[in-house]
Amino acid sequence: MQVYDSAAKQLPVITPLKGVWEKRSLLRLLVARDLTVRYKRSVIGIWWSLLNPLFTTAVMFYVFNTVFKARLPDGQAFLPYLLSGVLCMTLFNQGLTMAADSIASGAGVLTKVHVRPEIFAFSATISSAINFLFGLIPLTVVLLIFGKHPGWKTPLLLVFMACMTLLTTGLGLLLAIAYVNFDDSRSLINIFLLALQYMTPVFYPITALGPHTQKVIHLNPLTSYLQVFRDVYGGNAVATIHEWLMMGFTSIFVFVLGFYIFGRSWPKVVAKL
Amino acid sequence: MSNDLIVEGTDITLAYRRTRHRVSSLKQTAIDTINRRIAYENFYALNGVSFTVARGETLAVIGRNGAGKSTLLKVLARVLPPTSGRVIVRGSVAPMIELGAGFNPELTGAENIMLYGTLLGRDSKTMQTRIEAIADWAQLTEHLDIPIRAYSSGMVARLAFATATDVTPDLLLIDEVLSVGDEDFQARSKARTAEMINSGCAVVLVTHDLNTVQSMATRALYLDHGTMRATGKPQDVIDAYHADLR
Repeated sequence: MQVYDSAAKQLPVITPLKGVWEKRSLLRLLVARDLTVRYKRSVIGIWWSLLNPLFTTAVMFYVFNTVFKARLPDGQAFLPYLLSGVLCMTLFNQGLTMAADSIASGAGVLTKVHVRPEIFAFSATISSAINFLFGLIPLTVVLLIFGKHPGWKTPLLLVFMACMTLLTTGLGLLLAIAYVNFDDSRSLINIFLLALQYMTPVFYPITALGPHTQKVIHLNPLTSYLQVFRDVYGGNAVATIHEWLMMGFTSIFVFVLGFYIFGRSWPKVVAKL
Repeated sequence: MSNDLIVEGTDITLAYRRTRHRVSSLKQTAIDTINRRIAYENFYALNGVSFTVARGETLAVIGRNGAGKSTLLKVLARVLPPTSGRVIVRGSVAPMIELGAGFNPELTGAENIMLYGTLLGRDSKTMQTRIEAIADWAQLTEHLDIPIRAYSSGMVARLAFATATDVTPDLLLIDEVLSVGDEDFQARSKARTAEMINSGCAVVLVTHDLNTVQSMATRALYLDHGTMRATGKPQDVIDAYHADLR
């Protein structure tokens, strides 16, 4: 028999994680719900969700390739480099904002039914990751057009996706606290996301920057995620061991931090929902 | 013997600090912080509420709007953790609080039954086997495979009610006795609620309808501004409530 004791000791991070694991069948249903709703049982839905990254890529390609005549070193093709950058940033932005939204807009459920809110954040980031997989279809086409192929490192894509899921879940939980407390935090975060996008080498090669700017760009953890993604899928960049470590460390650190802070503030957050 | 107590609430208190002007934007918070104008006050949604509910008992919670009745139900439903005091709930809980929270209009009836049932804490494998019976009881078998955005509001309410009442829990939480759908369904849903209440589980019932309290409750609790004003036999508590209203 299950017993709820409000005075039972709650371990930070561990107790919420156990709760999520015990409810993994709910997690599966939530992910299925997200995907069914997004694709509405049609192929058009899949293309519809790709419209945003593809259109962004088209605009950026025109601006930077045709207007500014940007060139990558060693005559590397610009389009696969750019598209992989846009897909990576879309995964990050979408996972982060959807995770935060899932909690802020989940008030209807979260204030009536006992369910760990972290499950909602997870379902959002996992469905963004699946969405990202669909984005690999046009990227693969572009790679093949430019005479490249995904490469033998492709299985390592799973490591990249796992790290990105941990990162966006942790950050999304932190952002959810802001979303619930401050109505205007949504518009502010968009400015930060835009700044972050420019600080990540999405449409420029790092080597084109001065030594000081390069240091700043390397301090941005997302740079390492993007470099790893480009390395493992299509070989559009070479990720250093330092970048792999940066990705692994920041994902786990942010995830644990997000779970810790969110778990501690949840009683106050739920009262405000 | 003490294990027959499904709910043990000891000194349940739910207090939070809130800003006096209910600031909810960063901009306003920044301005107020600079001007040192943020005034906090402690708000007690519940203050030292103690009670027990044994198997077979029906506790009615009465009080004016904003007295903390629904908050108390949410504490029992494990949605709001008490800031001090202690709540122990033994066994499964069925919260009948605003049924259908979590329904998604784009999903079919069957998918919503699965999702809602699992959200309510039921095993998803068992839920799979219950879909047909639930739809049958809600008289929605023919509409099971269409998205519920095509349902009428009565149909959605029937689906929610049927899913929520599909199991007999150890503790049933009711926020106003529900009557949904058309006349025929209202009668059936009332009968089913009564059946659940009489099935021997513990019930906590929040209501404004004092007739319901007299006919259904074995005990009552009167809340006022989060504090317990009276508890005991339904009639005595109703009398105390009436005395205060005058």
